[in-house]
Amino acid sequence: MSSQNGNVIETAELTKRYGEVVAVDHLTLRVPRGGVFGFLGPNGSGKTTTMGMLLGLVHPTSGEARIFGDPARHPATLRRVGAMVETPTFYPYLSGRANLRYFQGIGRRGKPADVDRLLDLVDLGKRADSKYSTYSLGMKQRLGIACALLGDPELVFLDEPTNGLDPAGVVEVRELIRDLGRGGRTVVLSSHLLAETELVCDNVAVLSRGKLIAQGSIEELLRQHDALRLRTTDDAKAQALLAGMRWVERVDQQDGALVVTAPQARAWEISRDLALRQVYVNELTPLHRSLEEFFMEITGTDPATGKERS
Amino acid sequence: MIANVANLTRWEWFKLRRRWMLWILLAFAILFAQLAVWGQFFSYQNLQTTGGELTVPASLQQQQGRPPRTVACNDLLSGDAARQPADLDAQVVAGLAAQCRQQAATLPARLARAYQGFTLPGSVSTALGIVQTLALILIAILTASAIGIDYGAGTLRSVLTQGVGRWPYLTAKIITLAVIAFLGLVGALATVAISSLIAGGIAGAPPGGATTATWSDAGLALWKAWSSTLPYLALTTFVTVFARSSAAGMAIGLGYYFAEQLIVALFSSLFSWFQNVADFFLVRNISGWVGGSGGLAGGALPDQTHALVVLAFYTLVLGGVAFWLFERRDVQGATGGG
Repeated sequence: MSSQNGNVIETAELTKRYGEVVAVDHLTLRVPRGGVFGFLGPNGSGKTTTMGMLLGLVHPTSGEARIFGDPARHPATLRRVGAMVETPTFYPYLSGRANLRYFQGIGRRGKPADVDRLLDLVDLGKRADSKYSTYSLGMKQRLGIACALLGDPELVFLDEPTNGLDPAGVVEVRELIRDLGRGGRTVVLSSHLLAETELVCDNVAVLSRGKLIAQGSIEELLRQHDALRLRTTDDAKAQALLAGMRWVERVDQQDGALVVTAPQARAWEISRDLALRQVYVNELTPLHRSLEEFFMEITGTDPATGKERS
Repeated sequence: MIANVANLTRWEWFKLRRRWMLWILLAFAILFAQLAVWGQFFSYQNLQTTGGELTVPASLQQQQGRPPRTVACNDLLSGDAARQPADLDAQVVAGLAAQCRQQAATLPARLARAYQGFTLPGSVSTALGIVQTLALILIAILTASAIGIDYGAGTLRSVLTQGVGRWPYLTAKIITLAVIAFLGLVGALATVAISSLIAGGIAGAPPGGATTATWSDAGLALWKAWSSTLPYLALTTFVTVFARSSAAGMAIGLGYYFAEQLIVALFSSLFSWFQNVADFFLVRNISGWVGGSGGLAGGALPDQTHALVVLAFYTLVLGGVAFWLFERRDVQGATGGG
């Protein structure tokens, strides 16, 4: 594997087992260079374990992970990466500024002046000299983001970066992530807030029970799962006829209408084929799915709770 | 690699010097060193004033039921009736005076020994005799806290994602702690030096008698005191890394010191062969190395060569296993505490 193909992250058959439990199951993932990449999945789907393996925190049971074409866990590789995994963790007896100076110092990331610039960027300038233990969850989250940006890394992992932020903070962080993804830097964003993810991500990968179940650009993935709402003169007969069409993915009954998962460009063919069999269309409406609906459909779970849909 | 470890060591000091715990532990070391020196000074003053003291048991006192009391040899040998203990039988007083006359022969040597105990360079060994034991406990607390916080607060994850490497990070921590142990001892001894000059000034000219303390003895005592902290540092590092907890590191670091002595005392009294087994125990060999006492267990301590080999073995094995675990295990989130 190499980075010459334009991917910053590549994994091959990456697997992590904890005894009988398979947390990550033969994951083969490609993250293209530049932009914001959404790493999605319900709780317990293996997102954080995968990030841990990429960042050298978790030893893979088998398989390979590379960043910039080099072994992922190598210290020299990690110096080009910034990360905030799960909740931010800092030394409680040090101030926000002292914590950033420490992490900048050990990783030799940038100049001391960058610390103040980053603290201002995440709006912590006024509380920079307060002890970390006195910070609110939102402030801790902001400090975590600032720490991940030390040394202007080429690749940034952000795991649930908007946790604990107020609505204004969420918007600020969203804008920040969008800015970070411009100009060749890659941001890997893990979040269960799919509406947020949809607004900032260019590409996504969806994990479920440790397996990769979808990967691609959001536009492409949602287009593949476009649907049509249909009311006909004979819905039962229409359902049977539609189920036999090779480009129809599925047909469901919903609120007295049929919801047909199929490319919207085929709408005229549906209308024509049903009419040829004496079933006439009363209503034909294109349905645009959100990332959240797409996620729930392919994982069968609620993105926030990770619980299976009833 | 070396530059990375040196940089990490510098930043470890950046973190540690901001912890109150470090300065409180250093204050304890200084306090105990001072107690040792001034204790020796007052003991010298007392010996000079009294010429030595004898304890009179309750059974020899005329008035029954009184607690044991002490009498000063200078009073007994003064020939001045006013200074004789009025509440003792004349025969008892005569016996005590005879004992004092016997001891008077060794008084100059005892005075010289006491004097060199609170003046340089002898005061270094006096202070280290007390501080060395305390240093083991203090280094256990500091090591467990410095390493355990990364598990308790979950900061190990943030540290390792900076690309610093696991071995260099743990190496830098251990080097910092070892250097702090050395500087702590030197710092405590620096205050001892000041106190020695003051106490020497108060005590005046040295008494007659041979003095044996040398600066090379003082240097050797410092080296032994510092090097004896290393196996204990390795033990605490191992337990903290193994349990991923500063509390466990502290508990074992502190508890082991006393537990080993109790076990050796108990089993040595029950089984004669246990003394041979105990000669391979950690604390017993530390005592053997620094030339301390047998503690609760008593008995002959291992000789210095034996002790050095055993302590080197403990340091390498415990340290090696700690590094192996630190490198091999997955890093989890915060465990609390720290």
